[in-house]
Amino acid sequence: MSEPSRHAFPAVQAGSTADPTQHTWESAFQTHYVGLCEYVLRFVGSVGAAEDLVHDLFLRLWDLRARRGSMELTRSYLYVAARNRALKYLRHRRVAAAWIERAAREEPPTASSPEDLYLRRELADAVARAIADLPTRCREVFVLRRHQQLSYHEIAARVGVSLGTVKSQMWRATVLLKGKLAPYLFIL
Amino acid sequence: MFEQADLLRLIEGDCSPEEAAAIQAWIAADPRRGELLDQLRAVWRLTGETTRDWDITESRRRLERAKPALELVAPRRRWWTSPWATPVAAAIALLMAGSLLWFPRRGDAPYAYTTARGQLSSLALPDGSRVLLGVDTRLRVPRDYGARTRTVDLEGEAYFVVEYDAKRPFIVRTEYGSTQDLGTEFAVRAYRQEPTVEVVVAEGRVALRGLKGSDPVLVTLHPRERAVLDSGGGATILRDVPLANYLAWTRGALMFDDAPLARVIAQLERWYDLEIETDDAAMADERVTISFMTKSADEAVKALAQVLDVHATRTGRLVRFVPARSRH
Repeated sequence: MSEPSRHAFPAVQAGSTADPTQHTWESAFQTHYVGLCEYVLRFVGSVGAAEDLVHDLFLRLWDLRARRGSMELTRSYLYVAARNRALKYLRHRRVAAAWIERAAREEPPTASSPEDLYLRRELADAVARAIADLPTRCREVFVLRRHQQLSYHEIAARVGVSLGTVKSQMWRATVLLKGKLAPYLFIL
Repeated sequence: MFEQADLLRLIEGDCSPEEAAAIQAWIAADPRRGELLDQLRAVWRLTGETTRDWDITESRRRLERAKPALELVAPRRRWWTSPWATPVAAAIALLMAGSLLWFPRRGDAPYAYTTARGQLSSLALPDGSRVLLGVDTRLRVPRDYGARTRTVDLEGEAYFVVEYDAKRPFIVRTEYGSTQDLGTEFAVRAYRQEPTVEVVVAEGRVALRGLKGSDPVLVTLHPRERAVLDSGGGATILRDVPLANYLAWTRGALMFDDAPLARVIAQLERWYDLEIETDDAAMADERVTISFMTKSADEAVKALAQVLDVHATRTGRLVRFVPARSRH
């Protein structure tokens, strides 16, 4: 048995319950709930609708589980199931056909590999610099929203400006970042 | 009807389903709007992977209400779904913390990463450091990890691959002392049921000290050195230890070389989620050399019984070792 090598975790399994790819219902929920909500949100554009769709998916999985015993709740299974539900929802609501077609091409987010992590750290530098270069007020609003995840209302209260100002500063920050980060926008 | 800024509302999900459908139709009517949407989304993705603080706890409760038949386990706090699952966001938050503004977040409770018996997990911290959690282990990471310090609290066993940063030392606090990274890969074992804390270094160095940051350094450990800290604050150092034995668990195996039986049994119990009883008190004093690479609890129990020359019976999680001579 060799000694552990630097920066390489082996694929690990302990005992009988540790296969990380085979989720139980509970661990699938805990692991993927947020990711699935984000993914579905991209199709539907409404937080309430996204939460409902993911909720229904997990309820359905519970029923299936009860009927068929344990099933393999892999990541890709969950994302495909979530996408199918989202597309069905869009069709049912008679959302523009061109949008549905576009949404159908949405790839599920990729799991990050160590290589990604390395790339991301370089990228994170560029992003941090771009944010640091934003005009003060703009930057403040953006950071509160994106990193502190405050709501627009909370930001308005904290910074002491109107809701309209928060919204316009957010828009301005995003457009400025789009310009500064143009070379990086589609590399991940 | 709509303007470009409305694209942000769609990305953030701040629309009612009806508004969303209207904005989607507006986008579909002009390919340039779709292009702009993609760019804005890319900015969003680069600056953080989640659009909001999704309320997973509330969602779990809602599922519970919808399905009373759900057998519930206590909802764990934000397991894997913390913002830490999103390295870019976290890395940025870190960089921002150093240079710009840092507000305390709502709720300062640390993130708790736990593994059950029989379960291993790995996690990446926002500074690029990585942790492999052993079975039945709990690691607490403060919400402001990396802002000024990098101190984590461990109960159980974990292997750390640390990105060294002299300005923000990485410290693992355990029951009987703390381990400070000095450019390292190392394992810490601190199960509450055990009277000692053990540290093994694979690469680099670590400094061991008491629980307070101001406590003096007890000892500096180098590769292939192992320290055992006891409750009295003493440390025993062993040099040139077989790393493969102590770190076997990181590869999904257990290896014991002349180890007390009690230690072997305690680890098997955690690894295979068993309760093991021995009838014969004398057996506890035995020392055992054995390794386990199997996923099957039955095979592991059988192997140990063979080495001990005893008879094993298993009922569910309960295993009993009975001296072979009592089986007339």
